[in-house]
Amino acid sequence: MLEQLKDTIKKALPELDFVIGWGMGFDALHATPLFMYEPEDVDKLVWGPLNVHNLATYLPALKGRKVGIVVKGCDSRSVAELLQENLINREDVVIFGAPCRGTVSLTKIRKVIGNTGLIEDVNYADGTLTVKAEGASHEMALKDIRADKCGYCRFPNAVLSDHFVGEKRAPQVEEDTFEDLAEFESQPFEERRDFWMKEMDRCIRCYACRNACPLCVCRDHCVAQSRDPHWLSQQDGVRDKFMFQIIHATHLAGRCTTCGECERACPVDIPVLLFKRKFTKAIKDTFDYDAGLDPEATPPLLAFKANEDNIKEKEW
Amino acid sequence: MKIGVFVCHCGSNIEGTVDTKTVAEASLDFPEVTFATDTMYACSEPGQDGIIEAIEEHKLDGVVVASCTPRMHEPTFRKTLERAGLNPYMFEMANIREHVSWIGKDREANTNKAADLVRIAVEKLRRNQPLTPKEFDINRRVLVIGGGVAGIQAALDCAEAGLEVVMVERESTIGGKMAKLDKTFPTVDCSSCILGPRMVEIAQHPNITLYAYSEVESVSGYVGNFEVQVKKKATYVDWAKCTGCGECVEKCPSRKAPDPFNELLAPGRAINIPFPQAIPKKAYIQAEHCIKLTKDKCGNCAKVCPSDAINFEAKDEIITEEVGGIIAATGYDLFDWTVYEEYGGGRYPDVVTSLQYERMLSASGPTGGHVKRPSDGKEPKKVVFIQCVGSRDKSVGRPYCSGFCCMYTAKQAILTKDHIPDSESYVFYMDIRAPGKLYDEFTRRAMEEYGAQYIRGRVGMVYPDGEGQLVVRGADTLMGTQVEVKADLVVLAVGAEAAKNSPQLAEKLRISYDAYGFFMEGHPKLKPVETNTAGVYLAGACQGAKDIPASVGQGSAAAAKVIGLFSKEKLKSDPQTALVDIKRCIGCGKCAETCPFGAINMTEFRGQPKAEVLETVCQGCGLCAATCPQGAVQLKHFTDNQILAEVEALCRF
Ligand SMILES: Cc1cc2nc3c(=O)[nH]c(=O)nc-3n(C[C@H](O)[C@H](O)[C@H](O)COP(=O)(O)OP(=O)(O)OC[C@H]3O[C@@H](n4cnc5c(N)ncnc54)[C@H](O)[C@@H]3O)c2cc1C
Ligand code: SF4
Ligand code: SF4
Repeated sequence: MLEQLKDTIKKALPELDFVIGWGMGFDALHATPLFMYEPEDVDKLVWGPLNVHNLATYLPALKGRKVGIVVKGCDSRSVAELLQENLINREDVVIFGAPCRGTVSLTKIRKVIGNTGLIEDVNYADGTLTVKAEGASHEMALKDIRADKCGYCRFPNAVLSDHFVGEKRAPQVEEDTFEDLAEFESQPFEERRDFWMKEMDRCIRCYACRNACPLCVCRDHCVAQSRDPHWLSQQDGVRDKFMFQIIHATHLAGRCTTCGECERACPVDIPVLLFKRKFTKAIKDTFDYDAGLDPEATPPLLAFKANEDNIKEKEW
Repeated sequence: MKIGVFVCHCGSNIEGTVDTKTVAEASLDFPEVTFATDTMYACSEPGQDGIIEAIEEHKLDGVVVASCTPRMHEPTFRKTLERAGLNPYMFEMANIREHVSWIGKDREANTNKAADLVRIAVEKLRRNQPLTPKEFDINRRVLVIGGGVAGIQAALDCAEAGLEVVMVERESTIGGKMAKLDKTFPTVDCSSCILGPRMVEIAQHPNITLYAYSEVESVSGYVGNFEVQVKKKATYVDWAKCTGCGECVEKCPSRKAPDPFNELLAPGRAINIPFPQAIPKKAYIQAEHCIKLTKDKCGNCAKVCPSDAINFEAKDEIITEEVGGIIAATGYDLFDWTVYEEYGGGRYPDVVTSLQYERMLSASGPTGGHVKRPSDGKEPKKVVFIQCVGSRDKSVGRPYCSGFCCMYTAKQAILTKDHIPDSESYVFYMDIRAPGKLYDEFTRRAMEEYGAQYIRGRVGMVYPDGEGQLVVRGADTLMGTQVEVKADLVVLAVGAEAAKNSPQLAEKLRISYDAYGFFMEGHPKLKPVETNTAGVYLAGACQGAKDIPASVGQGSAAAAKVIGLFSKEKLKSDPQTALVDIKRCIGCGKCAETCPFGAINMTEFRGQPKAEVLETVCQGCGLCAATCPQGAVQLKHFTDNQILAEVEALCRF
């Protein structure tokens, strides 16, 4: 399948400035974004559970250039969302899709193998990932170390693509039941508050979560740094850090596709995707809407309706 | 900045539970406050003069008044500032009456809260910018929606004052409910004799364009410059050709169609002219009952029409009208009384509504003015009237009084005696409400001269006795007994409710409506015909049930408001609008999508797409500001920073 994908990209390459995909990074466990300009570059392409990045994040800045992009199912939803918001032009992007079997969580792997030195080799087959490092070999079941989002994945195949290679896979689940969220919310308020105060206290305000988010598009005008409006102070304290996450999640309500880049990028492993899960569920319950499925749809928070179907204001 | 704070006593309204002197003293500690005092009535002439003197003496450049709701007096104080030479927007109001003194009794807590509200106002004022309104031209045409007596009065007054008037009426004729009435209280003069000539005037007045059988589809724009889409519903008759001769109605074989003008008392024809004095007197086809339009057979009307006016191909048409002001006069509809199982829930033919009874009494009605029982066509000798059906009854969600039912019931009792001298009338009532000129005398006449028997009490049940009569059983609360009256006919004084689709129309007009769908006036006492949307006015029963004299009075009042508005050279726009910072704007267009008023234009600046606010269209709702992810749109006078400063002022700990 990978070969077929490479051939397809090579065929399309002459028409494009470049194609973004994944290549091997500094070791066998870490893939890295790959910019393919020449057919030789295409040979470096990899596809598999290590392709953790959502490459759609690059697209808004490339608006106006003709580029190709390789997408997993979840990444394709970000592309759909960017198209819907006119942040990129459909005629400028060529989308290459392939069926995804799920990606790994490097955080979970690190928890198993610890902080090793150089990774010598990585193999995956039959649902097992084997990592060789410092002479030791670690075997892990893929389902134990896969990213949480893959557990409730409904779209393993690109929701939109110009070229789709390989056979479409059945979704992991038919319906997202938000069990993770329900479990978290079953705790009493004080515990949840303490949890977040503790988690957010670690935040170093690097804004990696924002920078990794494909839909954080305010560029130089992010509220995190702006003085006018001055939503967040420069004070060091958990309140402003927490406030930023709430603003981030609010700005993404109805737009976020829960690709999980924010949480993946966080260097101190704060589970910030949970905030977005909360909003995603609220949007689903209130508006019966899933972000990033249809570039032509009007997202509920970007439309004005005097009477919302599920918000019975008059009965309040 | 030098800020002055004025804390009003409002007589004892505020001073009664707030220590205004302490509030004033506390204010002196707030940033940039250089002067603070309490004052008896800030809005009175000496109160305003005191503010002006303080501005001059202390060289103030901003003022906070802590008093009542800004809805009433913000404009007053802005003018005061203007007279003192300050920009009127360098002003903030803290509402320490509705938000403090009227809702709490604890003087100390109230005083602290009042001081907090002043602190908030001060923090906001510190970030205010002087604002200047823009001027724009007025389109001196007015739209009147609804051609009942209120709308007719408003339209004629405007037209007489030289304004061009567009009238949109939902039915095929104007006249509203009054056209259906036989006689009118308290003078018992013939309704169509007094209304008819006014309807003709509408048709003939050179300044009035009438769209009957039409509805307002959408409204955009703003005071002085509205754009209105009017949907002319297909009548299937070319009104330019139709002479109203009625040949078609005679020959129409579809004889089970509803006849709404006659309140469904008798079946009508698929093609119909509501009544002889209809304006316009034109035929229209009710498509769902027309044999030609449903089954492609018949076509009789087309064959007999001497003017070749029938057109089965007709389609709804949308017409665009531009106006500067709008008067809503859409009246009321009757409550659906069939929810009352105790009155038979609509199963007994001889239980009729008051409006059906008016049609029975009317010479142009289906019985030619002879009162006949719907069941067997016999003249009733005993008529029972039941008042407050769907009025003053919480159990059916209609707690309000419809106002005119007591009076029209008395009228109908009188008319019953006139029509059938050997008849007896009984009226079940809760209270008699007759507070108009000559009204109480009128109800007395019904009792004393016309012998109507008034029984104070609710009716518990109406049921057929099996021998052609109805038994009306109720309480007589004055006698403390149960009463039973055998009736040939029962007339229900059905209450008023908002006209159908009023909320939808209100939303198009961007005006408020109450829990029952009646349109909300700007102020219950001081702005009875204004709304909270500039340029939109109310007349008649659409604002709440009212009788003809009151409806006509409001028609004239609304006309006077429009004439006053149009007498200005130019209008000033409210400068509290959204503003786009083009440095920040990335041209994503989200604001344009959410703006309910179409006030955002996407333009280009140096090749980059940018949003731009049309200041005269913007209503300052702030949706765009909340939507813009970049924070590139800010609402002038309500910037994020001002709101944040207010929050900070409140949450200091
Ligand atoms: C049985 C009965 C007897 C009465 N007798 C008397 C009496 O003797 N004396 C008295 O003073 N009062 C009487 N009244 C009260 C009287 O009917 C009202 O005061 C009067 O009709 C109010 O006039 P209006 O123009 O506000 O409303 P309406 O008469 O209701 O007129 C409203 C008009 O607007 C039109 N319309 C509604 N919605 C729309 C829309 N969306 N678009 C366009 N057009 C629309 C309607 O078709 C109608 O033509 C009586 C009422 C009843 C029920
Ligand atoms: S359509 Fe013709 S027949 Fe019918 S009323 Fe008009 S003129 Fe008369
Ligand atoms: S504030 Fe913004 S959204 Fe509201 S009317 Fe003005 S431009 Fe439109």
